[in-house]
Amino acid sequence: MEYRFDKEELDQIEKIKARYPEVRPATLPVLWIAQNKFGHVGPKVQKLVAKTLDLPEAHIHGVAEFYTQYYKEEKGKFVLDVCTCLSCQVCGGYDILHYLEEKLGIETGETTEDGMFTIQQVECLGACGYAPMMQITNGVYVNHLTREKVDEVIEGLKNGKLPQFESKEMRKVNPQDR
Amino acid sequence: MPEVYIDGERYEFEGKPKLLQFILDQGLEVPYFCYHPSMSIPANCRQCMVKVGQPVRDRETGEFELDENGDRVIRWFPKLQTSCSIDVTDGMVVKTQESDELVRRAQKDNLEFILINHPLDCPICDQAGECPLQIQTYKYGPEGSRFEVKKVHKPKRVQLGPRVVLDAERCINCTRCTRFVDEVSKTHQLTITKRGDSNYPITAPGETFDDPYSLNTVDLCPVGALTSADFRFRARVWEMNQTPSIDITNGKGCNIDLWTRDNLVLRITPRHNPHVNDWWMPDKGREANRLFNENRISRPSVKIDGESQVKSSWNNAIETFVEHIESVKPEEILLIGSPHASVEENYLLTKLGNLMGWGTPHFTPHLNEGSGDGFLITDDQAPNTQGIRLLGLSENDNDQLAKRISDSGISCVIILNDALIDRNVLTEDLFDDTCLIYFGTNENKTSQSADLVFPITCVAEHAASYVNVDGRIQRSFPAKETKYSNRRLNLEMSEGRLDRYGTKFDNWVTEDNKVDCLPAWDLFALIGMRMGLDIEYEMGGREVMDEIGRKVPSFEGVSYEQMDDESGIALNIDSKKVKSKN
Ligand code: SF4
Ligand code: FES
Ligand code: FES
Repeated sequence: MEYRFDKEELDQIEKIKARYPEVRPATLPVLWIAQNKFGHVGPKVQKLVAKTLDLPEAHIHGVAEFYTQYYKEEKGKFVLDVCTCLSCQVCGGYDILHYLEEKLGIETGETTEDGMFTIQQVECLGACGYAPMMQITNGVYVNHLTREKVDEVIEGLKNGKLPQFESKEMRKVNPQDR
Repeated sequence: MPEVYIDGERYEFEGKPKLLQFILDQGLEVPYFCYHPSMSIPANCRQCMVKVGQPVRDRETGEFELDENGDRVIRWFPKLQTSCSIDVTDGMVVKTQESDELVRRAQKDNLEFILINHPLDCPICDQAGECPLQIQTYKYGPEGSRFEVKKVHKPKRVQLGPRVVLDAERCINCTRCTRFVDEVSKTHQLTITKRGDSNYPITAPGETFDDPYSLNTVDLCPVGALTSADFRFRARVWEMNQTPSIDITNGKGCNIDLWTRDNLVLRITPRHNPHVNDWWMPDKGREANRLFNENRISRPSVKIDGESQVKSSWNNAIETFVEHIESVKPEEILLIGSPHASVEENYLLTKLGNLMGWGTPHFTPHLNEGSGDGFLITDDQAPNTQGIRLLGLSENDNDQLAKRISDSGISCVIILNDALIDRNVLTEDLFDDTCLIYFGTNENKTSQSADLVFPITCVAEHAASYVNVDGRIQRSFPAKETKYSNRRLNLEMSEGRLDRYGTKFDNWVTEDNKVDCLPAWDLFALIGMRMGLDIEYEMGGREVMDEIGRKVPSFEGVSYEQMDDESGIALNIDSKKVKSKN
């Protein structure tokens, strides 16, 4: 497959570049444009980004590899990042992970045959208060996971229904401003 | 003058030095890894921690506040500072590991961190013996590690490019290699991939690290993560001798070290000279060790029946030389000097020509237009083109030289170490009826077409001088013994452990690698003696250079002593007389 940006994306990239005094800082947002379009930023996509921005390929590679949020290979339509870091682990993070593996018939790091789901194991996502939890494709957090809730979410996703962010009652005022 | 106190000693300083560099310049030590004087300062290894403070001044009077003992009150930085990145300021007080327990502890713990995932495979690592990590761990590190869990494993034996191999587990992520390709060679071919404990340097996928300066990263790497594909596993560093020399593969004259063991040059590394090459050299120059080791002309040869060459004794070769010379008139002899040979050798050829009435030697520069890069690679493929211009040899372009042989009644050509047939300046058929006498270091088409071949020493075997494209004269030291030299007697030669303690009967010392050749000055003296000339130089190149310094105006006063003291001398090249080509 040949990877290309179309006119509209190139215009968007020009606008991004104009925001910074030099080109390098545009690397991150342009990688996002690429990932949103192609679903990943594998080696060929990295090459495309490097060429588009006229930056060294090694630089783009280094940036893409640094952040786990950039996918360096093709993934499923939904990437399930299950947290198994401390708080989630003690609240059953591994149970959820293994349940998912069993349910989808794949191991952590793999993608289902139909290309729908990829399971990943991740470290703390900063939602320890709602442990155990998982994140879906760099976006929505699904909290207080149970087997039933997992079933529900997977069923929904299969029908193209992304769960909503479960907004918690947040403090309206930052403590330091009170 | 502003002052700084380091471990209780007072030093004065000028300008805005960084603390680590200032400490090193005083001959003191603070351990460090990522800092390099010719690159940017990322302060990422955290090894160079010291304690730093500033004296407190009374705000009103501006006087130093004193404690009850009359000493200045010092306000210390709340945390230890990385000395590589902090500027020295007036009145600064510094405590290094020499005088402060906290600093000692910080450096020790930092090493423990750095070593968590390090494989500690020094016994099989090429860097051992010249490894900053190994040395500093011995000096400042902990005795053991508290991290007894399984180490993180990373790729090993990664062929980053044709000349550089990576062992990612040994890497301490100092980023010296990536900074080198970003800031010095500017090819931007390397990056650090991943993060945390799994990071290491790599090229972009599918790309190869073929930077023409790639091997400098091997020198820079403070551990054994980057190694030379060529030199890997060939010798332990402590078995070798290190001898200063000059790169002869192009016109820049990079300062180098030749590393020898048992009289083979096993590797070549750059030697710091801020006037020429800073700390770097092109990869190409490192391949010259093969020129010094392989395919050498050893023992003279003479051609019999106009057909094949046979090896001959020196005496017989000199007799044959005289026969050839005496069978033709002096004006039928053409001398060809060489930009590939030293100032001394070309001078002696000129002198011999003058004494014998053979005229001034000719030469043709060895250029490869467009191959230069404006940094350390030059169009000029020879180390001494400027030198022979300054000596007054007569410059020809390629066609002129061939014409001179075919058209002007020349019946004998004497070439000093220049592969003119191989580089398509001359052709073999020019010598069908014309006699060719070759003084050379390596076998090639030119030597093979000759009627008489004399082996002479190469830059790795003699002390001699070369003038680079910018007119800087620099010299070599003998690194490799010939059949007739001996490191124990020649005080210019270095002696390593194996040389000192090995004997003929050990299997690591052989005679095989000593070439049967003579320095041009000794050979010309023998030839001169046979023809009734006294051109002996007992002190070799050094004495020849003294004579050149007295006789040739451009080299006035030049001596080995001055070259050694000042890492070479910038000669006054008159740009009108000498066209300088980069
Ligand atoms: S390979 Fe060597 S020079 Fe490069 S980052 Fe690692 S330790 Fe530093
Ligand atoms: S441990 Fe899972 S979100 Fe923090
Ligand atoms: S040398 Fe100062 S932090 Fe590495």
